[in-house]
Order: sequence, then C-alpha cells, then structure tokens
Amino acid sequence: MNAPSVRAAGSTFPALSAARRLLTALLYVNGVYGLAILGLLLASIVVPGPLFEGLGVRPASGRDTLELGMRLIMVIGIASVPVAYVILSRLRAIVDTVREGDPFVEANAERLQTIAWAYLGLELLHLGVGVVAAISGSSAQPLDVNWRFSVTPWVAVLLLFVLARVFDHGTRMRADLEGTV
Amino acid sequence: MAIIVKLDERLWERRMTLTELSERVGISLANLSILKTGKARAIRFSTLDAICRALECQPGDLLAYDPATESPLEE
Repeated sequence: MNAPSVRAAGSTFPALSAARRLLTALLYVNGVYGLAILGLLLASIVVPGPLFEGLGVRPASGRDTLELGMRLIMVIGIASVPVAYVILSRLRAIVDTVREGDPFVEANAERLQTIAWAYLGLELLHLGVGVVAAISGSSAQPLDVNWRFSVTPWVAVLLLFVLARVFDHGTRMRADLEGTV
Repeated sequence: MAIIVKLDERLWERRMTLTELSERVGISLANLSILKTGKARAIRFSTLDAICRALECQPGDLLAYDPATESPLEE
C-alpha cells in the first residue's frame, strides 16, 4: 500500500500513530542509552579511580573484582542495545502493517518470531547481570544493581513464541482461505 | 498441481454466461472468475454442489487432471 493510504489509516486510528511515535522515540532513547553506557565503560578505563569512587566503590579488599564486575555489566548493557533495537524496530514494522490494514502477513509472523528470540536474548543478558553482580560483589561491598529474578518475563518469552506460531498458522490459513471458492 | 477447471466448456454447452451462473448459484462473479481461470487454491463442496446443480453436470465434468498442464499458482 502506498504512503498516503498509510497516513489515512493512521489518522483513523490515533492509538496506532501514537504507538508508532512512541516506538520511534524509544528507538532513539535506546541509542542514547547505548552511547551513555559506552561512555561510562570508556571512562572506567581512562579514569577508573574517580569514576568508581563516584559510583560508590570504596577502597577495600575485592575492589578489583568489583570494578571488573561493573565493567562486565556495562558490556552487557551495551550488548542489550542492538537486541532492544531488533525488538523495537520489528514491533514498529508490525504496527505499520496494522496501520496499512493488513497485519496478517507472513512477514509479521517472522517478525514476532524474531522478537521472541530477541526477548529471550534480553532475558539471558539480564540473567548475566545477576550472575556477575552475585560473583563480583562481596558481603563487605556488595554490587547492588537492584537485580531480582522474576518468572513473568520468561512466561512472556514463552507467550511470544506461542503467539508467533499462532500468527504463522493463522496467516497460512488466511492465504488458503483467500484462494478458496 | 495440474487440475483443470472446465467451467468454460460447461457454460458454453448450456449457453450460459458467468454472470448468469453467478446469479443462479449465489457465488460472486469475482470468485467464479477465479475458479474459471484456474487460480483457485481450493473449492468447497457446497460450491461444487451449487455449480453442478445449475449446470446439470457431475463434478467430473467440471474438473480434470492433466500432469502436463502447469498450474497458474505454480508459475
């Protein structure tokens, strides 16, 4: 469908236009977030002393391990940026097809599947943060990143995979039905 | 798939147009046209029943299998 009709559909459903704008904004925020963590990581290499002191690291035993752990968490944070980009950009593409009036297409089933894998990746990275925080922190100086295990995101990952399969099946059924007389 | 729809021949025999058939069987002209040109992926028994009733023929008079024919869906 051409661009003018996309705009027409978008104006009919303001929520979709708002969703698209929000996702675009989040894509920018994600990029800024990545740059900020990259800056933090670089600063931790160039000026480690003032930075870690600023982050509350006290000169005590195990400080090196703690600093290494913090750097690792920064790396995980940077690694999550492209993963989040995949989720947001695919979701925006799905929203676009809804605005165009034809969301039940094979491409959307593939996008949902990609989102499910990316979300799984994001959860694994989140799990990595918890492991790093647990290993690098000590009782004298714990690495508090406010990490907490939750079952809900894992259920969401499962739900996304199931939804992707349902969508794929539904799209095939529609394609069959279209050619049925 | 090499299923041939011989709707044209049956219509010719009955001196009937596709529009007339459409009115008799209650199936849209667009759908009948899809069927006639061999672009349909599937045909409902109810459709087959209605067409056979209107054209006074058997399903075999409407459909044939020719392995040498390439389906438009596979082009």
